[in-house]
Amino acid sequence: MDTLTTPPSNDTPRGSLACVGMGMTLGSHLTPLARSHIEQADVVFAALSDGIVELWLQRMHPDVRSLQPYYAEGKSRMVTYRQWVELMMTEVRAGKKVCGVFYGHPGIFAWSPHKVIEVARAEGFAAHMEPGISAEDCLYADLGIDPGRLGCQHFEASQLLFYERRIDPTGYLILWQVGLVGDLSLKRFSTGPAYRQVLVDVLSQDYPLDHEVIIYRGVTLPIQKPRIHRIVLRDLPNATLTAEETVVLPPAAPLKLNLAMRERLMELDKAYSVA
Amino acid sequence: MSDTIELLNAIGQDATLRHASADELAPILEQAKASEALKSAVAAGDSSLLFEELGHKPNHAPQITNAPGHEEEEEEEEHHDGDHKPHHPSEPDHHKPHKQ
Ligand SMILES: C[S@@+](CC[C@H](N)C(=O)[O-])C[C@H]1O[C@@H](n2cnc3c(N)ncnc32)[C@H](O)[C@@H]1O
Repeated sequence: MDTLTTPPSNDTPRGSLACVGMGMTLGSHLTPLARSHIEQADVVFAALSDGIVELWLQRMHPDVRSLQPYYAEGKSRMVTYRQWVELMMTEVRAGKKVCGVFYGHPGIFAWSPHKVIEVARAEGFAAHMEPGISAEDCLYADLGIDPGRLGCQHFEASQLLFYERRIDPTGYLILWQVGLVGDLSLKRFSTGPAYRQVLVDVLSQDYPLDHEVIIYRGVTLPIQKPRIHRIVLRDLPNATLTAEETVVLPPAAPLKLNLAMRERLMELDKAYSVA
Repeated sequence: MSDTIELLNAIGQDATLRHASADELAPILEQAKASEALKSAVAAGDSSLLFEELGHKPNHAPQITNAPGHEEEEEEEEHHDGDHKPHHPSEPDHHKPHKQ
């Protein structure tokens, strides 16, 4: 096999940034390109959901700095996320090749990777996002759902409480971060049954209380099995649910034919003589 | 004793091992001189048994927030009246719908 090597450059080092996804499962999901970004970086920052996956990452680079210690109960997560951006940008500005490693896909339900890339580009640095296999991808595979069949809405669960959103119960509804639903303070890592009851009350406007709800956890270590727990909507408040689980509501109603549009399309077909 | 992270990596990237049952993995782990922690984690189907060997660092999963009142600094002043527009903190251009 031919090997290519990057030519050495005499230019003064210019900082750059790559935010890459680690995928969900140790050993299974890391892409060759994401691995290369990690190996070629001067500094690696890591926001991973599993401490053992972080140990695996440390095997790939001598300078892996965990972003986990910046979280704290009672401290706004928004403050934490801004700190992450600053930590990464400080190294980029110092001329370093920086790699931010995030579990799953770095751009899915993740604020800082998008933000730090935006900031780096605004300051004239090269910045790139490299996709990874997300919890969403694992969910489709493990639950046998094709988002294209009936459509699929994804929300951070809290957004359904903080804002008026329109749910379409003829497609799948996927709710992220249900474990901390309704936390306006952003200072907690779990809320609890009373908060989940508010979510159930909102959902009950579109779903019957005995509607199926799937609590899903994909595997982070290759010796685990996915957790797929089926309950009914009314039992969601008291179900066991961690911050790393995703909640799925299957469709509650059949698709409705749009007769007016079909009529219109048939007219068009006639006009273009394809009928 | 074999390195547990390396063994996990090897299992994670092998189609047979990744989907093997605990019974199928047991002799393979034995032969590979896997640690007691890894062997018992696989046998019990409980990966928390690995903490004994590798230590336990509880990691937090959340990485996003859509709560009102925590938007970008620039916007905060505009929204003191409590009339928050349904925008997304990670969306630099709030006029575009969030696409994900
Ligand atoms: C901030 S998001 C980060 C998602 C991540 N960037 C990705 O690509 O999957 C955190 C949420 O992802 C979901 N999640 C994280 N780990 C998961 C897992 N192992 N299985 C299922 N869902 C998971 C949960 O809904 C959790 O609240």
